[in-house]
Amino acid sequence: MTSDPSIDRARPATVAPPADHAAGRMSLLQRIAMLRAWLFLGALVLAFEAWARVAFDGTFLGNTYNLQSIAIYAVAPLLLATGQTFVIISGGIDLSMGFIMGLAAVVAAHVVGWANPLMSAPFAVLLGLLVAVLVAGIPGAVNGFLVAYLKVPPFIGTLGMFGVARGVAFLLAGGTTVPVSNGFLSALGNGRLYGVPWVVIVTAVFVLVMHYLLGQTRFGQHNYAIGANAQAARRAGIDIRGHLLRLYILSGLCAGLAGVLYTARFSAGAAQAGEPLLLDCVAAVVIGGASLFGGSGTILGTVAGAFVIAVIQYGLVFVNVKPFWQFISVGVVIIISVLIDQAQRSFTGGRQSE
Amino acid sequence: MNRRTLLGAAALAALTGAMPVASWAQDAPEYTIALIPGLTTDAFYITMQRGAQAAADALGVELIFQGAADFNPVTQVPVLDAVIARAPDAILIAPTDKTQLVEPLRRANDAGIPVITVDTFIGEGVYQTGAGDADFPLSYIASDNVLGGRMAARALAEAIGEEGGQVYVSNVNPGISTTDQREEGFKAEMAENFPNIEVLETQFNENDANNAASQLQAVFARSPELKGVFGANLFSALGAANGVQQAGQTGNIKVVAFDAPTSIVDNIKTGLVDVAIAQHPAEIGYYGVVSAYAHLTGQSIPTAIGTGFTVIDAANVDDPEVAKFIYSD
Repeated sequence: MTSDPSIDRARPATVAPPADHAAGRMSLLQRIAMLRAWLFLGALVLAFEAWARVAFDGTFLGNTYNLQSIAIYAVAPLLLATGQTFVIISGGIDLSMGFIMGLAAVVAAHVVGWANPLMSAPFAVLLGLLVAVLVAGIPGAVNGFLVAYLKVPPFIGTLGMFGVARGVAFLLAGGTTVPVSNGFLSALGNGRLYGVPWVVIVTAVFVLVMHYLLGQTRFGQHNYAIGANAQAARRAGIDIRGHLLRLYILSGLCAGLAGVLYTARFSAGAAQAGEPLLLDCVAAVVIGGASLFGGSGTILGTVAGAFVIAVIQYGLVFVNVKPFWQFISVGVVIIISVLIDQAQRSFTGGRQSE
Repeated sequence: MNRRTLLGAAALAALTGAMPVASWAQDAPEYTIALIPGLTTDAFYITMQRGAQAAADALGVELIFQGAADFNPVTQVPVLDAVIARAPDAILIAPTDKTQLVEPLRRANDAGIPVITVDTFIGEGVYQTGAGDADFPLSYIASDNVLGGRMAARALAEAIGEEGGQVYVSNVNPGISTTDQREEGFKAEMAENFPNIEVLETQFNENDANNAASQLQAVFARSPELKGVFGANLFSALGAANGVQQAGQTGNIKVVAFDAPTSIVDNIKTGLVDVAIAQHPAEIGYYGVVSAYAHLTGQSIPTAIGTGFTVIDAANVDDPEVAKFIYSD
């Protein structure tokens, strides 16, 4: 019953096939719509390049240092946004990710600190990574259970978990930051391979795996089907409960990895590490072309969305915009990006959010 | 009926279990003093609580520590109201806004509960003068944050050395009295005494270390003459230090951090942070409780008590006399 043809039937006619696995059938306009976030990112980068050349005879793009800095900034929001993309496509939202990230950061710091005297540095880090990511899966599993089996709306269930994860993280951290000293961990957080920061490499590999998972596997197809029309997906025989449970665990794991990389970078775990990132990660997903109503969105779009945010944050400081104007600019860019998205959706006639 | 009595018994058991103080009623403390921090999830205020508890134990006073999870009047005022409802003998509070907390605190004052502000203040922070409508607190006990900013400027200028260069302040958000004062003191000191150092535009990171790191890298990309940064609070400094590391400029761009959580020790030892300006939060808590007790027992107390700072760097970070100023519970 869960074979792919039945899922295609489950998808209502108004919802265009998601991205890559139907690329052959897409019209030119739809391709442009899919690339919208990347085009927007390109335009943004060119605007900063022009600004840098005109205003102070510098260069924005022709500078590997700038590219490295932007990529490092994008790591944490992108990891959260990757998990958030899956959840938003399913028609849900995960508000607890920021504090699950903080929880994982604190757990990673504690475990590596504890394991340091017992084993060699790389093993201590590996243990910290595993434990922290697994611990991050627990609030994810509770989220999934609440949403899938107890029918709690995702907004409310994960909001509750937001508070629980926050409290547990601060309790474990004793209300402060947890320092950890491990040469291997710090090299993971701040070292480079041929000029590419390790955190960026780890994130790129992880995001590619997630891209494959969403685009090429049954799990990903079920995710689109449930988001587009849960009723039809159920009739088509998809195990919605089991899927949602796994989905929110996945989202927790993404936040967990983000937390571990935070600890690696700052050599300290902080419960509030992900607090400011929640809205950034939702914005990245939406800029990337996903609909908050579910059923559409891609990982590659989200990557562009996360980089749009990173480029704005970094670029505005680089071209020396006054701080208060930075707040305004970020907000305006998010609104414009979503407006373009809306316009293009009605223009291409597909992927309507209603 | 049966079920109700059972419930009642359970409730009673829970009550007595939850309030161990009540069980030794004969020995009950004479006074109850409430400490309301700016936020509960911050090593600074947790250390303040430790100092307050030490004073409370020494004086035989009961200390209540209740606050909100973030630094915001919207969440602090309900906590304050709940504490007022419990009618403590005195309230020590770190108000989260200079004006928004005036009326809520006046309710406490009108109910006959003396108010002392710690760390932050209401109105102008000058009390018992008969001027204005926010002079009713008895005392303001805190570090002089303007002075702290000046000390940070001196430490940074000294770390940079003779040739000078460009620096900037990495700050949280505009509108917070303490961090605003640190920035003000820092800029004033640089302008008055260090003409060879240029202070660039302040960058606000919304308490996000990731953002602070990115900002440092961007400022450096724009201004290669950048020689130093002042992180006005924990995450500003943590982020700026990481930005310096990512830019490969450790040792070249000096980092002065405000506040001294446990993680600062490692940061100083590894050279990520050059100097930390530690406040004395335990001292603030201790003198807060002592002042409230003095007032309650009929003594007069000073309207302002300024607590000091300790400058921590690689040379003294292992000294136990200095290490005691690292924030911890």
